[in-house]
Amino acid sequence: MLVIDPNKCSGCRRCETHCSFYHSGKTGHLGARIKVEKIEILGVDVPVVCHQCKEHYCTKCPQKAISITERGSIEVSPTLCDLCGACEALCPIGAIEIYNGIPYVCDLCGGSPKCIEACEMDAIFFDPKIKQSVSLASFKKKTKKMSPAMKRYEYAKLESKNIRANWLKNGRE
Amino acid sequence: MLHGYGGHILRVDLSSGKIMRERTDPDYMLEVIGGRGLNSSRLYNELKRDIDPLSEENMLLIGVGPVTGSLFSTSAYMTISGKSPMTGILGDSAAGGFFGPEIKYAGYDQLIFTGKSEKLSYVYICDDHVEIRDAGHLKGKDIFQTTSIIRKELNDNSVQVAAIGPAGENLVRFSIVACNNSRVCGRTGMGCLFGSKNLKAVVVKGTGMVSVADPLKFMELCKIIDKRIIAHPEFKDRHEMGSTLLMKALNGLGILPVNHFQKGIAPYVDQISGQTLAKKYKVKNKGCFNCNINCSRYYITGEVESEGPEYETLCSFSSRLGNDNLEFALKMGQYLNRMGLDSLSTGETIGWAMECVQKDIFDKNDFDGLDFTWGNTETIEKILELIINQEGIGVDFAKGTRYLSEKMGKGSEKYALHVKGLDVICGDPRGIKAFGLTYAIASRGADHLRAEPFFELTNRFDEAQKRFGTRDAADRLSDNGKAALVEFTERQALLTDCLTMCKNIGLSMDVLDFELAADLLKAGTGLKFTEDVVNKALRKTITNERLMNIDFGITSKDDTLPYRFTHEPLLEGASKNQVVPVKNMVKDYYKLKGWDKNGVPPKP
Repeated sequence: MLVIDPNKCSGCRRCETHCSFYHSGKTGHLGARIKVEKIEILGVDVPVVCHQCKEHYCTKCPQKAISITERGSIEVSPTLCDLCGACEALCPIGAIEIYNGIPYVCDLCGGSPKCIEACEMDAIFFDPKIKQSVSLASFKKKTKKMSPAMKRYEYAKLESKNIRANWLKNGRE
Repeated sequence: MLHGYGGHILRVDLSSGKIMRERTDPDYMLEVIGGRGLNSSRLYNELKRDIDPLSEENMLLIGVGPVTGSLFSTSAYMTISGKSPMTGILGDSAAGGFFGPEIKYAGYDQLIFTGKSEKLSYVYICDDHVEIRDAGHLKGKDIFQTTSIIRKELNDNSVQVAAIGPAGENLVRFSIVACNNSRVCGRTGMGCLFGSKNLKAVVVKGTGMVSVADPLKFMELCKIIDKRIIAHPEFKDRHEMGSTLLMKALNGLGILPVNHFQKGIAPYVDQISGQTLAKKYKVKNKGCFNCNINCSRYYITGEVESEGPEYETLCSFSSRLGNDNLEFALKMGQYLNRMGLDSLSTGETIGWAMECVQKDIFDKNDFDGLDFTWGNTETIEKILELIINQEGIGVDFAKGTRYLSEKMGKGSEKYALHVKGLDVICGDPRGIKAFGLTYAIASRGADHLRAEPFFELTNRFDEAQKRFGTRDAADRLSDNGKAALVEFTERQALLTDCLTMCKNIGLSMDVLDFELAADLLKAGTGLKFTEDVVNKALRKTITNERLMNIDFGITSKDDTLPYRFTHEPLLEGASKNQVVPVKNMVKDYYKLKGWDKNGVPPKP
């Protein structure tokens, strides 16, 4: 999976622009499969992307359009998908979202993720060994019935506690 | 299909509530490019000249560049323009962050606000949906609060908010517009212009994308730019300190403003330097949209935390006022951003008062009992409150140093360091002659960003010979070749403003050249941009800005510098004995531009 170190993220959104451009030749926040949630008042920036979670909630797709690839990433069948939105609702952190008639979720760019190349802060790296091992169960209840954007915000807010504790511990002399 | 561009111009008349969308005209864009070029041309064509800047007849424009929001690194900016409430001439100010790209994703190249709302309002734009909303509950709220409240009530943390604080509502002439709290349009009082229209904020959300005409070519050009940035010799320092590296650098050159430009060296510079800030308070880098330098920072002191500050704010509230306390300067930077004041102009009014007291022109009794001795932090905090709330002497301070000194008189006008009513930035021009020329001729007043001739500090003597016909152009103390340098970088600066990209990168780091920019524009928009077309657009915009300022009453007499910089040599340091021979340089500059001796361009 893509492992994120939000302590390092500057919030510049290069991961988003490069993800979006690689997949469509266009750039835009919603065209990206990794999205940076910025909470300016707390100073934190948290890239949110598919965790390839242990629970793989999104695979409970009623159309059975979602499967898991060998790399552990999520694959959506465009022929089976009827845009019902169940995957959006099921994902606890807003990592899958329908935009322009397609459920957008990280596909690891076929093995060499563009977001990693684009990030100058070394805040993203790829660990192929981590697959279906991170649990998102703790977020599931907290973000129930939220929109994908609000889920990401909620996720970032929860992450911010650790980030800020780290700053105060390590960030300064 | 029009690529790159958002495709629409939005007009919002705040008096009638009428909202109109026009299609962006590609032929017109070839003449103005976008951003500041688009804004200045709009003002040139549509703004009545003899109006009170605070009247509803003034226009408020927000312009974005054609490849802003794309893969193009550092294309993060937007420019706000109008007739300046601070100076009465052309006013504009740019800020980075994420507001500019969001306007593009919403499908616009320019937002035009006219008239005046009856009640305090904010405008919410989500793609085609445009709504003027009541902002009564935001009255008196600071910028951080305003941003949070708006996001909460829209139930959307991802909207971009450009807001004013109490200073803007109270029409302080040098009040700011801040985007998402910390990316600030500081100069020329664009916050006051918002306030005069009863506009508390502009809120944008865009769900669209920016397409480019030739994605492969465009990507290739973006990669060239990325490589130039990363391979640049200043990359590491800029990444670590951003513009705050200038504290020590300018001190070394003997041109750090100390005690209101009476000195160019601060013996305590290590206490207030960018290095110290990075070491003691910075917790991480921050970046504007799609930047690969990430030169901004988030800091936490015992008392406050925020993104920022930039060099100008840091210097304005440390050495310029004789203050050696970094934590205090940081606290003030955050406070100014919250309340909505420009650090440069605010710092200048206070520095002027402190010098006037030092020189016994005025005393406590002239300033409501406030003790304006150097570095008096209590006085600084108190006067800020008076300015923001327009109370007591704050009423006159809130109109800027030019007005303040002219009203108080007694020779204090000589120490008001401004050009055309805009206060001088934190770089003593006596040791950087091309900057001196820039302050004198810049179309918004004493400002470096109109030309930022950083080149004269880079020791590239061979390149100077090649570009400007003399090695002296790379010698910061020489006035030779500086008109040619400034004429060149003025276009380069405008180019970055038209593309609404970062000037540190396009200009100071000299990453963007006209040929590359033309290629980028062509691949991005699909329009027939060439180096010639680009330069023609830039030259025309510079001429139009000048003609507009002439209409506003500017003459060649205004193209000068305050007495201090032309007649009082620096007494110590690496720029000792220097003054700026501004007259000669301005004359050279007019000649190069083909303007007459009164600084008037020929009729087109």
